[in-house]
Amino acid sequence: MLEGRLVRLRALEPGDLEACYRWMNDREVTHFLAMTYPMSYADEQGYIERVSSSDYTKGVSLAIETKDGSVHIGNISLENPHAEHRTAAFGIAIGEKDYWSNGYGTDAIVTFLSFGFQEMNLNRVSLHVFEFNERAQACYKKCGFQVEGRLRENYYAEGRYWDVIVMGILRDEFDALHSKTG
Amino acid sequence: MLEGKLVNLRPLERDDLDREFQWVNDTDVTRYLGMRYPVSKAQEEQWLNSRPANDFGNTALAIETKDGVHIGNIGLHEGQPENRKASLGIMIGDKDYWSNGYGTDAIVTLLRFAFHEMNMNRVWLHVYAFNERAIACYKKCGFVIEGTLRENSYREGRYIDAITMGILRAEFESLHAKGESDA
Repeated sequence: MLEGRLVRLRALEPGDLEACYRWMNDREVTHFLAMTYPMSYADEQGYIERVSSSDYTKGVSLAIETKDGSVHIGNISLENPHAEHRTAAFGIAIGEKDYWSNGYGTDAIVTFLSFGFQEMNLNRVSLHVFEFNERAQACYKKCGFQVEGRLRENYYAEGRYWDVIVMGILRDEFDALHSKTG
Repeated sequence: MLEGKLVNLRPLERDDLDREFQWVNDTDVTRYLGMRYPVSKAQEEQWLNSRPANDFGNTALAIETKDGVHIGNIGLHEGQPENRKASLGIMIGDKDYWSNGYGTDAIVTLLRFAFHEMNMNRVWLHVYAFNERAIACYKKCGFVIEGTLRENSYREGRYIDAITMGILRAEFESLHAKGESDA
């Protein structure tokens, strides 16, 4: 388990299915995720089974839980790690909307990045975020991610194309922002 | 294919079977390896045919002279992405090619690949204490003796020590200049 200031990150359990299923079928949540189709209960169950054990090759997906009250509020993941290039792709969803915009996501991200750099020995973490998700972009910048590019009309939803912003953070940049011993 | 000075390292192919079978049943060869039981042709064929593609966790290559003679194998095993380390193993099965610098060239070529392409930080190996020829070769390549594992194996009626050796990327860089095609 990884300890942050406001949250802890723990492995996903079969009992997390109900909450994950609810989030992944909440359009206000999936609006910000690269999810086009409604996700069945069985699909979500398969997903949790698949990601509930982590290793470098498979990637790491963890549950975000508040330290105050142990509420499971979302999930966070590092996917497709490359052993040679030491890169991985980052993703996060805060499914409990009551916990939006309160610093939980930022704390989860910094905690998880610290693990990615200090324990998994990654050199670079990158992410894609929709142009309209300004709240998330501000949060990622606060964590130390830099905007690296803009993929024009890379995503289609709600009847139109949207640009996707590519952001990345290097290990040196993270270390300079967040003291090494955390 | 990885190019050395004296050898090339190429993928293992199914038609390498006859040579592989001969080498792993030659006790002059296997007494230096972690192998003791005779190997059937079927078993060797299965090993050759069912090997997964080379990747960070496991890479095995055939050592071929520049004339195209397959003289042995070399590999990196137990690759750990977080720790960026792997173990090195080598066998020169064709005894006519012992003690002529082929092994050294193969090792330096593979180490360069490990550090510059796979992004390893450390490569380590175990060698039987009595295998002085190999220890001298590993030292020439830049490996440093890090310890002695006392009575770590039982071979030929007695316990024998294993020497554990390692080389770090920074050490390799200072011995073998980065772009150069080698010493």
